[in-house]
Amino acid sequence: MDDTLFEFLHSEVVNYVVEGNNILNKDNKDEDLSNLEYIGFSVGYKIIERLTREMARFKDELDMMKFVCTDFWSAIYKKQIDNLRTNHQGVYVLQDNGFKFLTKMSNGKQYLELAPRYVAFTCGIIRGSLANLGVNCLVTAEVQNMPACKFHIQVQRT
Amino acid sequence: MAVCAAIIGKDNSPKYFTCLNPDEELGFQYKVLSSLDVIEEKLNSGNKSVSDTRELYLGMLYSLEKHKIYGYVSNTKIKFIIVIDSTNTSLRDNEIRSMFRKLHSIYADNVCNPFYIPDEPITSKSFDKSVKHIISGI
Amino acid sequence: MRSSVSYILSTTTSEPNMSHPDYEQFSHDHAALLILVKQIGSCLKTKTFNKFYERISKVNTVKITDSTGQVRNILIRYIKEHPVENNDWGDFQTHRRLLGLISLGRYDSQQELNEICRVHESLKVKYTSTLFDSRCILFGVNDEREYPSDNSSPEEESSSSSKLSVDEPVSEPKESDSKPRDKFTTPTNFKARAIFYNEADPCTDLENQLNEFINSLFWVLESKRLERSREKIERVSLLLAPFEKKDFVGLDMDSRNNKKRCNGRMTKHLGDLYLQAGLLSESLGYYHSAVETLKSVNDWLWLGAAYEGLCAASALVWYPNIQRNVSLHRNASLPEGSPKRSNSISTPMENTKRDIINMLPPDEISKRYREAIIHYSKYQNAGIIETEASFKAARISVEQNHSLQAASFLQNVVFINLTLSEQEKIQRFETLSDLYMEIGFIRKAAFCQRLAATRHVSPQNPTPNWNKCYSLILQSFPGHKISLDPTEMSTIHSPCGWPSLQIQLLQELVVASKRMGHSALATRHMTFLLQTMWQHLSSSEQKEFAIQLQSLSSQCEGAPVPLVLDTGIVIPPANLSNVPICSGFNLRSLQPHLQPRKIETFKRDLGPFLFTPIKFGTLERSSSKPQSKMDFLWVENDVCEVTLKLVNPLPFELKVSNMRLLTSGVVFESIPETVVLPSDTPTSLTLNGTPKESGELEIQGYSTHTLGVKSNCRLRCMPNFLPCYSIEVIPVLPTMEIKTSLPQSATFSSFQNFENVVTSASISLYNGESTECTITLTNNSHVPIEMLEVSIQSVLELSLQDQIFKWSQENLESQLPLMPNGTASLTLYLYSAANFLAAGYGPNELSSGVFGSSHGSSLMSMSAGPSSLPSRLNSPIYSAMGSSFHGTRRNELNSSFRSSNSGQSSMTTTGYRSPGALILPQHAASTVVEGQLQLRYSGGAGLRAGYCRSSSIFITLEMLPSLQVTNWDVLPAETSSQFYLVLDIANMTSQEMELYYTPTKHMLIEGHESCRVPVPVNRCPLSKLTKLYMDQNSGMNNRLDLDKICSDHIANLVDLRWQLLSLNTRGKATLKGITLTPNMLDIVRMSPLNWEVSVNGDFLKPQEEINCDAGDCLSVRISICNSLEKPLQHLILSIQFYQDHRNGTHNYRLETRVVIIGCAKKILPVLEPQSKAWHACNVLFLTPGQYKMDIQCSTSDALSTNQPILGPCGHSWRYIPAVDVNVHI
Repeated sequence: MDDTLFEFLHSEVVNYVVEGNNILNKDNKDEDLSNLEYIGFSVGYKIIERLTREMARFKDELDMMKFVCTDFWSAIYKKQIDNLRTNHQGVYVLQDNGFKFLTKMSNGKQYLELAPRYVAFTCGIIRGSLANLGVNCLVTAEVQNMPACKFHIQVQRT
Repeated sequence: MAVCAAIIGKDNSPKYFTCLNPDEELGFQYKVLSSLDVIEEKLNSGNKSVSDTRELYLGMLYSLEKHKIYGYVSNTKIKFIIVIDSTNTSLRDNEIRSMFRKLHSIYADNVCNPFYIPDEPITSKSFDKSVKHIISGI
Repeated sequence: MRSSVSYILSTTTSEPNMSHPDYEQFSHDHAALLILVKQIGSCLKTKTFNKFYERISKVNTVKITDSTGQVRNILIRYIKEHPVENNDWGDFQTHRRLLGLISLGRYDSQQELNEICRVHESLKVKYTSTLFDSRCILFGVNDEREYPSDNSSPEEESSSSSKLSVDEPVSEPKESDSKPRDKFTTPTNFKARAIFYNEADPCTDLENQLNEFINSLFWVLESKRLERSREKIERVSLLLAPFEKKDFVGLDMDSRNNKKRCNGRMTKHLGDLYLQAGLLSESLGYYHSAVETLKSVNDWLWLGAAYEGLCAASALVWYPNIQRNVSLHRNASLPEGSPKRSNSISTPMENTKRDIINMLPPDEISKRYREAIIHYSKYQNAGIIETEASFKAARISVEQNHSLQAASFLQNVVFINLTLSEQEKIQRFETLSDLYMEIGFIRKAAFCQRLAATRHVSPQNPTPNWNKCYSLILQSFPGHKISLDPTEMSTIHSPCGWPSLQIQLLQELVVASKRMGHSALATRHMTFLLQTMWQHLSSSEQKEFAIQLQSLSSQCEGAPVPLVLDTGIVIPPANLSNVPICSGFNLRSLQPHLQPRKIETFKRDLGPFLFTPIKFGTLERSSSKPQSKMDFLWVENDVCEVTLKLVNPLPFELKVSNMRLLTSGVVFESIPETVVLPSDTPTSLTLNGTPKESGELEIQGYSTHTLGVKSNCRLRCMPNFLPCYSIEVIPVLPTMEIKTSLPQSATFSSFQNFENVVTSASISLYNGESTECTITLTNNSHVPIEMLEVSIQSVLELSLQDQIFKWSQENLESQLPLMPNGTASLTLYLYSAANFLAAGYGPNELSSGVFGSSHGSSLMSMSAGPSSLPSRLNSPIYSAMGSSFHGTRRNELNSSFRSSNSGQSSMTTTGYRSPGALILPQHAASTVVEGQLQLRYSGGAGLRAGYCRSSSIFITLEMLPSLQVTNWDVLPAETSSQFYLVLDIANMTSQEMELYYTPTKHMLIEGHESCRVPVPVNRCPLSKLTKLYMDQNSGMNNRLDLDKICSDHIANLVDLRWQLLSLNTRGKATLKGITLTPNMLDIVRMSPLNWEVSVNGDFLKPQEEINCDAGDCLSVRISICNSLEKPLQHLILSIQFYQDHRNGTHNYRLETRVVIIGCAKKILPVLEPQSKAWHACNVLFLTPGQYKMDIQCSTSDALSTNQPILGPCGHSWRYIPAVDVNVHI
């Protein structure tokens, strides 16, 4: 039950942000989803404190990524990431074959254009969680075939 | 039964500080501040040699004539410090550990308080009350 | 770490224990020979001594080949002080024994030399129990050559002065080579080896001498070692630590246990000796077996020592390169958190190391140390040994990069309960802090520094030292994240430090600097505290500190300059920008009338490119950038303003004095301001200053002087402000004072941009009246005014504006340049120009003849006016004006319609117009014209830079109606060269008006009444019209042109003057813009044809009537002359009679009454200029009556078309007036 509520809430947040944008600038082609991403960032930043509470200290970055793929993803989306790949140089690709926010839409290309709206929040969550764990990164999402989604994490080394 | 507890942020600045006797607060602050060196060293060496201890609880950081200082660092690099009166020998390690767990737990709850901005000093009164509750061991 | 069974094994005792801990010990020192280097006498400068000490210290290892040919590596440790009690522990650890003594002294005389020798000898006596050998290095005077070497006299002297024990044989100084060059010799009882040098000598053989000395020490040691090792181990006596002596009294020394104890202790002792003698592996062996033996008899103290020996020997193998910092001053360039030592151990060496039996692997070293310390801790009297062991262990851990381990050893130090002097406690903390620093524990180091600092001034300390306290607190700052530079404190975005601790430390620092007597520092640090910790202070603390600062600064004012301490530390300035808080900082433009303006040059044609892409680029950039560059200008030597909004956050009144602007760039003279700020109330303050040069000026902030502290508050250091504001200062411009001779206006209205108005003038004039206004211009600057331009601005039409306002630019320019303090005057001629024709009345009213409705109509025309400003729309006065002036033009356009009405009908036909019926609209009585006389002036460098100033005078001119021409018509005059202009003139004033309508004629009109006057006017000569006649091709416009020319002609000739008798004002009215109908035009202008009509041979005069009887035959001859300058073609000259019934109908059907004999018409194909043509015929009137003879000449097509007649073609001219013929019976 609370899953559905979360999904409804999320889609309403998406609508709210998108409509807010439409009022501000109608003719802007690239949708400004940074608000949505920031909401995700704040949520991620806070929720990670709770989710890692009982965890042992992470050995390294990869350890953190594994945590994101498993426990973290399960806590939020009730499933795990299907595939994690890395080049061991700070790039991680997390693949979810049935990303929750996309499964309720059509399979295929019908709403492909609108997909970014439904992944921005999650990108923010990932970025926020990792930021609080001390990893600064860029998170982008790639949707080629709904409802599969790939999240690219690019760690920023300073 | 602890005499002092502190929560220190990622940047090593104090976020929350309390002790049983407010008159001693400044003295405790000096002690807690200098214990950060040990924490940092422990976290650093944690990767190299002592990697088996991946516990968030760091154990005793150092002991003073009258006090023992214990540390705990969350995955998000929030440091929790508890100062125990060294004459209090009845306190076991496990009890201290569970004290830290409780502290961490209420901290995680406090982070979810919409009025709390992460990395700002904690001013919530109910949080203060809970911490005092925990350290007084009731 | 410490044993929980502390002190159980040692009784509390007042025995002298080793009271001087040596915190500087390294484990390597176990292997070193201890040599005391002593400065003797006051002649040797400490600096020289230190130089030599350092040089000597470098000789810290010596390789000596022993009797078996083995090379021994001998370590030496030099010290400057050695309490003799420390020798007591020499049996326990042999490296504590002082083996050698080197004294250094300088002498100028034999006496001094003797004294040095005496002291040296006494030192020898002091350490006699352990000392092996000594050297005395003596520095003599520089130029020995002045004194011929003389050996005898010092010999005598020395013998005479010898007071020391004489039972020793006199030893000759062995340095034979140095002797000849010195006339002084050591006393005979001086038995140490003396080494003579000149102070300036390079002392090249010093190292050799040291080597030799160390060799000598070694051999003594070696002999002792051999001696000890040959001793039968069973027979050795028990070695004791100093405090143990009591414990063993009365014990059975022969017990097995005790034997073992003796044995173990001696084995350990041998280990020490072997170690010192450079026999590492052997020593390890001894230590190892000692450990075994001592462990079995529970001899904890010595077991600890054996462990320590084991560690020391092992460490010497593992880390041969550990070195103490020879120079003890800290290397400031090292980054915080200390560089961890690198263990430079090469692999081959490592292999050899492994081969040594009994050697401890690196991680064992710390463990053994730990054990040793635990064992030591069981003895209260071994506290110092324990402390030293802890330090040694910590140093090994540092070398091993085990920070935590090092920290735990250091932590142990604090627990050791020692009765130490304050000085020693301080040293302990300082050493701790150094070591903590080395392992990167900067907070811990800072903690220890602070403790050391407090010890320096603790009540227990007999010699409080505030200087040291101060410098230690200062050193602890990095660990507490305090930077002495306030800007760095504020730029750290996240507050990393612990504010409450920082506040306390800073307070302590203030106290320390105050107690040091350095009040400038105290003020500085208090300022810093208040400034950087402001947001962490409660308001009561803020108040308290502010008051403290005030009292501190009363001792020494704070100034924004760096303070340099004796130690070379620079304390950067601290500026109070929180007291008062500045919440607004705005540069003000000059007052509008002083603002410089660019003198416009005529815009050059820049070609077809109106916009370039670059301009677009700059536009975008400027829009995104915050505005730090002002878009207005300041002028050199002008007082410029910056407004600040200040808030005093303190709960008491704050006086801020000497507030100035801080600038860079061009020279700027800032005027200091003093302000008293009430608590917590925002106050605005204006800071003034004068730029003294032209160019770019940067305003960087402001300076204050409050609470006794001078501060430079720079905007870049303050949040919410741009780093600085820049403004362009242009070269100096003159200023001008302006006065007018007219009274000031009560109110300004309507104009939007009257910001640069400096004065105003107002006057009321009746329409047609004119006056003068004298404007006095005074140059009140130091720059001559070289340029002065006058222009008027109003909403009026340009032509009208030029009528109302007039001045002479030439006159003005002749007064330039206007030198400083010079005065010029400008006369402004004001004329109340108005349309005197009844222009306000629309054509409708005229046609209907109802004048009364004109009131409403003018109100209606409001909206038709060209007003653009809403305010003007709301002003009925103005709209009346506007509509009336613009109505003029409209009336002209409609004139054909209107004129036909007034012209065609004679005045009698237009109906009855009694003067009394003239109702004048009262509200339109006066109109107000507002104008700004703009004076643009410049001079000096500013002019050359292309700038000027602009001031305006606001002029309000109330125009009162005087007279109005309500209607007009033209009538032929008695002479053909003139006509009568008949005017209905209304006196719009309430005064009696004298009207002069010709030079000779005048009449009186009562207020609000009108009258009709005929004005004789010369007809418009053809010369004015030639152009029209010449231009054949022009169409309809010609009529308008003709109209205009004639109208102007009338306006020029008619001179209506009026005088209000009671007010003695006079003026004139113009008929400019009067409109005429075509028929009127014919009367107004001269005919192009000159007529000559003769009847019966007599020329007919104008207006002459012909009288004849019915039946008479009149012979009429008409001759015409073309007075134009072009030929007229196809003219038809005709004669016609008609009867005027005086009711508007003319009867042309007169066939029964008049007979024309001959042709009534004649066609003239062409009439050349100035040529004449004539026609004659006879007329016979059949019946009596009144007839009119109408003679006309028309061009051919004129008759067929009934159009208004234009120009020469298609026009007909009449002989005016028609000739009356009275036919009598």
